[in-house]
Amino acid sequence: MTHQPLEIQVIVAATIGGIVILNAAILWFMPRLTRPDLYFAVTVPPGFPNGPDGKSILGRYRKELMLVSVLALVVFVAGITLLGISFGPAGPLIQTAAGFIAFYRARNRVLPHAVQPTMIREAELQPYTRIIPGGWIAASGPFVLLGLCAGYFWIHGSSPARGIIYALTMNVSLIGLTVLLYGLAHWVRPVYSGGPERARELQFRRTVAAVILGAEYYITIQSLWLLLVPPHQGLISLGLFPLALIFALVVIVVLARLGQGGSRLAPPQKSATTSGAPVGDRTADRYWKLGVFYFNPDDSAIVVEKRFGLGYSLNFARPTTWGIMALLLIAPLVAVLARVTQFLPKRV
Amino acid sequence: MYKLLFACASPVMLRIDLASRVPVYEQIANGLRAELVSGKFNPGEKLPTVRTLAINLGVHHNTVAEAYRQLANEGWLELKRHRGAIIRERDHPEAGPDTMERFTRPLRELVAKGLADGLSPSSLAREMIETARGLEERTSP
Repeated sequence: MTHQPLEIQVIVAATIGGIVILNAAILWFMPRLTRPDLYFAVTVPPGFPNGPDGKSILGRYRKELMLVSVLALVVFVAGITLLGISFGPAGPLIQTAAGFIAFYRARNRVLPHAVQPTMIREAELQPYTRIIPGGWIAASGPFVLLGLCAGYFWIHGSSPARGIIYALTMNVSLIGLTVLLYGLAHWVRPVYSGGPERARELQFRRTVAAVILGAEYYITIQSLWLLLVPPHQGLISLGLFPLALIFALVVIVVLARLGQGGSRLAPPQKSATTSGAPVGDRTADRYWKLGVFYFNPDDSAIVVEKRFGLGYSLNFARPTTWGIMALLLIAPLVAVLARVTQFLPKRV
Repeated sequence: MYKLLFACASPVMLRIDLASRVPVYEQIANGLRAELVSGKFNPGEKLPTVRTLAINLGVHHNTVAEAYRQLANEGWLELKRHRGAIIRERDHPEAGPDTMERFTRPLRELVAKGLADGLSPSSLAREMIETARGLEERTSP
């Protein structure tokens, strides 16, 4: 087994450690970034989060989150020290699992206060044109870059096997993200169909679309960098890893300022529904398995707003969802398998 | 900058209540028919596709498809695969002998429900007159 230089190990460990701390910070603030009628993925009466029960639940959640996050960090540092840098990716996984436990316990405390969300649904009848300015040109950019890279390898005849594997896995991954981008334009069920809430929602959706496109370009450029920079310049090739952290940080700050569905852009307004019931995200709580997985066979929407988090989730009752998941997961799986079988040269 | 632009025309809304005892497909058909009768759409215009409307309402696409089929059978819509529903020029049908009876019975039931829920007879009468007048104005050439 080959050992990486110390500097590389430090950079990778610091980046992963940073992701762990960032993850904890997001989970700390998340309950206040969701829609006002949703609290720990449960539909609640308006004003509940600011009431005594809501504040008490939030306080306990944050204490537990801090405890499990510190434990996760200790396990991460101990793992890195004892087992080496290969233990690194386990850090964010441990943190996420620990954070989920804190979330799930808080959700159980909110459930007795749950109320039925409004059953009123609205939709615009006049079909509207969805235009993606520069869309397909911009979206095809990463594929063009991959094609150019493949051409470079073909002309120079260097590392064809590695190039083909990288290009194939990258293409599949990018196709998955592009499908997701298309889904944001066509498969999202809006929570509001009109008024200022809808305008804010669209602004949020546009921002998420820009983030996905940015991620596509980032992944492509990083992969091309790793392919084209000679292996012995490992430190240089790692230059883009800390950038991932900066990219994630910028995205989180931008989305947090908008709030889920753009709900923080202006003070919450009274819903247009006549029933007076909270709007939430217009889905019943029972369709949210464990509070995070949306499974509703009667809903044709494939992409829905997350209840606890910023961005969108998928309706796991739709077959298309599983196709998207396969496209998104196949690339990392192939990369891991290739690495395990020593097919690819050892690189960090 | 990657942007999604949703260029909207003047919004005509369809509203349904999933808690209602009226089947959802019927609510959709009734809502669409009301808009078609009021003249907010011209022949040749398109309605959203079944999938789009189902996604926006958060219901199964078969539910919307059933409502569209019902309206197509009544002559309001022309359904084309992958092209959505196109509004048709519809001849005014002759009212049959039992048409008025089929209309007045649910109307009486609705009025009784309104009265039972506390609405005054005068407010109900005013609402019905205004509705009828509005429809008459919109549909008159």
